[in-house]
This record gives sequence, structure tokens and C-alpha cells, in this order.
Amino acid sequence: MGKNSTPDPGTLLPLSAAVFSILLALAGSEKHGYAIMKEASLPEGGGVSMGPGTLYGSLDRMMRSGLVEETGFTDNERRRYYRITKFGSQVLSAETSRLNHVMSAARRKGIMEGVRS
Amino acid sequence: MKARQPRMLLFYRSALVFYPRRLRLAHQEQMMLALAEAYRDRASTPPRFWLHAFADLFESSVTEHLFMLREHTLQKPVAFYTATLAVILTILGGAAAITMQQMLRGGANQPQIDMAEWYASEIGSGEAPGNVIPPGYVDMERSLQPFVIFYDDHGKPGPGTGYIDQAIPTPPAGVFDFVRSHGSENVTWQPRPGVRMASVVKRVGGKGSGFILAGRSLRVVEEQEGLLRRMAFGGWIAVMLLLIGGAALLNRAQRNRQVAA
Repeated sequence: MGKNSTPDPGTLLPLSAAVFSILLALAGSEKHGYAIMKEASLPEGGGVSMGPGTLYGSLDRMMRSGLVEETGFTDNERRRYYRITKFGSQVLSAETSRLNHVMSAARRKGIMEGVRS
Repeated sequence: MKARQPRMLLFYRSALVFYPRRLRLAHQEQMMLALAEAYRDRASTPPRFWLHAFADLFESSVTEHLFMLREHTLQKPVAFYTATLAVILTILGGAAAITMQQMLRGGANQPQIDMAEWYASEIGSGEAPGNVIPPGYVDMERSLQPFVIFYDDHGKPGPGTGYIDQAIPTPPAGVFDFVRSHGSENVTWQPRPGVRMASVVKRVGGKGSGFILAGRSLRVVEEQEGLLRRMAFGGWIAVMLLLIGGAALLNRAQRNRQVAA
């Protein structure tokens, strides 16, 4: 597919847990791989415990899909940094909206009672 | 002084070979850096940490190979698969049509095979050809009836029921030469341009040695073969149009979802 055409973010949904957590981690700021792993493992980051294989496999595909990109910056410890793209932000927003609808439906059905937000 | 790396890190680096080459070359250094940091910050015991790390490595390497396979398949142009399928279907369809044509042609030799066997056996056992072959007149150009003709050892026509212009025709001498050495032969005989006969020629031994030719017009069979060819060609065109239409739709769908991978 040509790089000039921007696909509909909805065609990528639903995202896998790993991809969603990586996008969420990068939504705040640029990060290197280990920082992404750490943030994704936190409850607010999705609670996804992934190793380097899952992380870099996902990052590789996300870069080729235009969701994230390398910043070009490498720190003193030779760590590369990654950032979310504009398209990646659109996809993250679309997925969050989708999950929000799911949560609303769950609340209406009383599934969320007793669950702390 | 540089801290000594745990041996398991070296094992892990060696195990990266399980990843697809392109992924490994692009990210192995970053993977090792992330793993080393995770090891330093680990909250669990080393055995639990390495168990989790290697489980992730093997699971994700399988996943990456599957993704790569899928992408490789998607990247090949739809035209490639369409052309391959078209060639396979053409070969299969062609083979089926040829088989059916051969069956039609093979069926055209009946009842001549039985007739030739019977007359050759009767004449070979000593009966005179004129006594065995019944009187009759089959116009080979117009009639669909089977006929039988006896030829002597030199290929000269004797009694028979098949005629063209009120004369019994003679097949090419090469046919008799072949039958003389092989015993029998099924041939398409064309006694006149446009008039073709499904003929069975059999050697007659014994006292009245010669040849028996039993034949029948191929007109009906050739009409059926023509119909089969037209149907096969029409079917082939329809299948090709379906393939091209399907390929166009698939190509469109593929463009829309390629990024979704």
C-alpha cells in the first residue's frame, strides 16, 4: 500500500493487548524499549507483562504499519527511543473509544458493580 | 570495571536465532539491552525471571514467523495467485475434456470390435467369406449403420457390405502391413475427404487368410466431440471471468486491510 494513503483507523481494531499498551505507553512521551515494557506492566498501563520478544516483534510491525516510529535518538546506553505517530494516536483514540462503549455497556448490565475505578 | 554478564543472557542471545532473520538483525541489540535492564530490576527470583523470558522468546518467535508468513502471502500480488490458479484449472479442465473425448472416440469402436472378432473367427475356422458375410448395402457416406468387408491376403476387397459410389473401397496398404504383423488395429479411416470411419481391422488366419474390416461412420461421435469442445471452451471462459472478477475484489479488499496486519 502506498504511504500517501492513510487507512481508516477503524480497520486496525480491535488492537491486541500488547499493541494497545505500547501505544498507551508512548502516548505520554518518547520511550526506549525497557521503559515501554515497564509502563505496560503497570495496572494503569494495561497490566501486560511482555518480554523483549513480544515487545520488539510488536514494535516492528507497528513501525511498518505507521503507528510508531524511531525518534533517531540513541542514549548513552545505546538504547533507541520510539514515539507514537499521528496515525498511531488516531488508532489509539479509536480503540479507547471502542473500549469506552464496551465499558458503558458493562455498566448498564451491572457488571461493574463492586469494581473500583 | 564492566560487570560480568549472567550466563543466561548469553543463552538468550543464542536463542534469538529462533526469530525471523530480518527481525533479529533489526532488533537483537535492543532486545538484549531491554532484557539486561529487566534482569537488573527484576522483582522475581532468577529462575522465575528466566522462565518467563524464555517462554516469551519461544512464543513470540512462533508468532513472528506466522506474521511473516502471512505478510509474505499477502504481499504476493493477487495476479500471481490468479494466474497460477488459472493455469491449474486450465490443465485440469483440458485433461478432463481430452479424457471425455477419448472415451467418446473409444466408444465409437463398438460394435465393430465384436463384429471383427466374430467374422475373423468364423472365416478362420474354414467358412467361405461369402457364406459368412450377409448380403447388404451400407452407404458409408450417408448411413450410420455398421458394415463389414473381407479383404484377401493382398488387400483386394472380397465380399462386404460397405460401399462408396457403389464400390467397396480399400484402406491404405500400410494398414494391412501393420495388421499382418500385429494381428489387429483400430483406425480412423477416411475413404473420401470428409467421410471418416471408426474401423477395426483384424487378421484372418487359416485357409482363407486375409483381413476383416468392420466400420461405422464417425459422424455422430464427431458431432458430440464438437459439442464437448464448445462446452469446454464456454466453461473455461466462464471460469476465467469468475477468476478475474474474484481477483479484482480480492485485490481491493487486500489494499484496504494490508495495514491492519
